[in-house]
Amino acid sequence: MMTFIPPRLRKPAVYAVAGLSFAAAWLVHGGHLWFVSIMAVIGTAAAVVRLYRLGGTDTDEGARAGSRADERQQLVSLRSRALACNLAAVTSFIGLTVAIAVGGAWGWPFLVTFLITGYGYLLGVGNYGVAEEGTPDDADTGRQTRPPVRS
Amino acid sequence: MRNRVREQRRQRGLSQAELADALGVSRQTVISIESGRYMPSLPLAFTIARFFDLTVDKMFDPDDEEAGA
Repeated sequence: MMTFIPPRLRKPAVYAVAGLSFAAAWLVHGGHLWFVSIMAVIGTAAAVVRLYRLGGTDTDEGARAGSRADERQQLVSLRSRALACNLAAVTSFIGLTVAIAVGGAWGWPFLVTFLITGYGYLLGVGNYGVAEEGTPDDADTGRQTRPPVRS
Repeated sequence: MRNRVREQRRQRGLSQAELADALGVSRQTVISIESGRYMPSLPLAFTIARFFDLTVDKMFDPDDEEAGA
């Protein structure tokens, strides 16, 4: 679906959908905090405009915002997301541990986050880390490859 | 790893932006490669070498740890 959207509009579109969803949630919530949804819409509009303008600049951030990142910029983005996930996993583990120690019932979001990050890691290894086992090149010639460690 | 990107680019009178356009990468990436801060992927290394009519091992010297000057 994203391929039908011009690259420079993709990230702003994602921000717009996320921001408007957040605003809608506050609107549905109702009560005396309904005005938060208005603030969310204003904040989202400002962020979307800023992101669109950033996408037109000749910088690394601009390339990422404009969805035209090359391999180095994508690598930076990938490493940053990996770091963010590592931090999420460590933080959720600490939170869960503290919740258990003090007997707090508020620990379950930490457990959910920890399980999701762990499952995400396993999913990634399963999807991207599977290589064909194959056989050594000379397996059919009768020669044996040398084991990595001599016993 | 030392590379000859800057040297070759200057010999051909190209700006970093022009080389970036020709290679299909950003100007910032060309700067990073020239300064040795970023090691390109194998496909990009081949693209660079072919652009300058050199082989990859002539363009990138793995024996020299010093960044390209």
